[in-house]
Amino acid sequence: MGPGLLGYTIRRLLWAIPVLFVISLLVFYMLRLAPGDPVDAILGQRFQEDQAAVLRKKYGYDQPIHVQYVKYLQNLARGDLGVSIRHQQFTVSEVIIPKIWVSTRLGLIALVISFTLGIFAGIYAALARGTFLDPLTISFWLAIDAVPVFVAAPALMWLFALKLDLVGLGWRGFASPNIILPILVLSLPGTAGIARFVRASVLGVLQEDYVRTARAKGLPERTVVFTHVARNALLPLITVIGLSLPGVAGGALIVEQLFGIPGIGREGFDAVLAPDFDVILALVLFGSLLFVLANIAVDILYAVIDPRIRLGAGRG
Amino acid sequence: MRSSTRAFASARDGAEAVSEEAVITPAVPEAHPVSPGRRMVRTLLRKKLAVLALIYLSLFYFFGIFGPLLAPQDPYEQNLSAETRLQGPSAEHWLGTDRLGRDIASRVVYATRTTVVFTVVVLISGSLFLGLGLGLLAGYRGGWVDTLIMRVGEVMGGLPTLLLMLAITAAFRTRINDVSFWLEDHTWLGDDAATVTKFGIIVLATLPFAWIGSTRIVRSQALAIREEAYVLAAEAMGAGTWRVVSRHILPGVMPLFIMGVSAGMAGTAGAEVTLSFLGLGIDPPTASFGSLIADGAGPQTLERYPHLLLAPAIPVALFFFAWNLLGDALVDLLSPRGHLNG
Repeated sequence: MGPGLLGYTIRRLLWAIPVLFVISLLVFYMLRLAPGDPVDAILGQRFQEDQAAVLRKKYGYDQPIHVQYVKYLQNLARGDLGVSIRHQQFTVSEVIIPKIWVSTRLGLIALVISFTLGIFAGIYAALARGTFLDPLTISFWLAIDAVPVFVAAPALMWLFALKLDLVGLGWRGFASPNIILPILVLSLPGTAGIARFVRASVLGVLQEDYVRTARAKGLPERTVVFTHVARNALLPLITVIGLSLPGVAGGALIVEQLFGIPGIGREGFDAVLAPDFDVILALVLFGSLLFVLANIAVDILYAVIDPRIRLGAGRG
Repeated sequence: MRSSTRAFASARDGAEAVSEEAVITPAVPEAHPVSPGRRMVRTLLRKKLAVLALIYLSLFYFFGIFGPLLAPQDPYEQNLSAETRLQGPSAEHWLGTDRLGRDIASRVVYATRTTVVFTVVVLISGSLFLGLGLGLLAGYRGGWVDTLIMRVGEVMGGLPTLLLMLAITAAFRTRINDVSFWLEDHTWLGDDAATVTKFGIIVLATLPFAWIGSTRIVRSQALAIREEAYVLAAEAMGAGTWRVVSRHILPGVMPLFIMGVSAGMAGTAGAEVTLSFLGLGIDPPTASFGSLIADGAGPQTLERYPHLLLAPAIPVALFFFAWNLLGDALVDLLSPRGHLNG
């Protein structure tokens, strides 16, 4: 599009810097102000005070918080995310990057399945409106969605691993059939929301004048559905897709926990419990960065595709 | 002609469902039935499900409020002898007993109380006040107000929610004893102080994230609607801000807001259940669906003691399902444009 869009993009990207700065400040202070510092976590319950003091000095925990924060930012600017308390030989990046990669791949597979199922279910339900198939389709997915992950997981494990003996439990990588259960548990619950979204959107578009016009001029129903309806109805889905991407990289804490997947969600949980400050902080910043970028990308894509949306236009 | 009869039928449709839910009965004249067969099946299934969902939710909230009067036994009373632990359902213990010989039926009833209190608190404070209010303000006002609200929302919403909720609860939980002892000494809470403190922590952890979803939905919808010709026409005719927002923006915003809230309700309740499942929310001896499920989760446990998982899992899954169904039906009912389509 025109120069307006470029300016908007640059403005939004520049906005992202203070946003991320505020997030890092908030989270840094929250973590540091919480009782119990990482040194307690390293040493456990019994330790000598002088030993603790040495460690505090080594990691800089004896400094005032704002000094620690500035130091953290300086390190961050150099790409140094700090040191993990629990994995002492490794830097934070070395700990989290492989795990992010596992979670992202797993999440993307689940995302593709969810969206494929959801789009088809949604369009199907919308076109079946007026028959019992519409509420049946939606209710079916809503019922699936209502089962908490930590109920579905043991139930599926029991059925497929213990009773039918089709898959094993435990993580064997992406090539093993063991991956089927976590993928199911990750992808199926999301389908309901997408189906419902698509259905509402399709129903809205079905009433647009241009659909009536398309029908009135005698276009075959298939052309109407796929070119006029689906294309416009799936447009708002960009938001949903774009905003679910950061979550994918953030991993799925409970599913990873239950299935023993070495992903980033589980790492985050362990880091919170430890507490492993630098890992938590890195994960929060990473998640936030992805989210902010996804937001910007969604807005820009939207403006490119639908010129009716005026970007950042203030009124009077 | 055709569309007007349909509009009539839909208005009637709506009126029926509204009176079933005993809210308000708008003065809609008796209209003649239009397409009986199909519409009946659809109405039957869809609205019946919504009514069932509503009945279930009423029952759930009723149990939540009057739990202590309805629970068959004391949910805290332990009985550690071998023949009273981990028993399946019986006449004495309708849903069996847990590892400590406590009556599961009573614990489930008390768990509904936990869920009820939590959802009501977060719904009123998070979605209704913050979500709808800020969304309308941002969407219709635009300008710097919009920028400010959305940037704050972006900061909050940009945070990885579950991780942050865990970090907040984990950080505050180390202070639970200080706070609850203080509350015990200085307020009328007494023995409930520890539970109230835990509630406070999870509400505190949920609230920063509870408004963003609805605000975003309301705002984007308001933003689209304010560009519509009828809004511009109303403004051109001199309608005030309040009138434009309440008469023209709000009706268009409502369906998506309600869909957001009802879908969010399952999520809100889910946050507490999840935190409790992970041991960072409401933990034993206070009953919560999360900790009850955690007791029975695991394929081997499920094989040997299925009641441990099923007794809490079924009511809570139905609770989420009911909210989802209700939200879905509400969208269908309230959408001003949805009905015109047969």
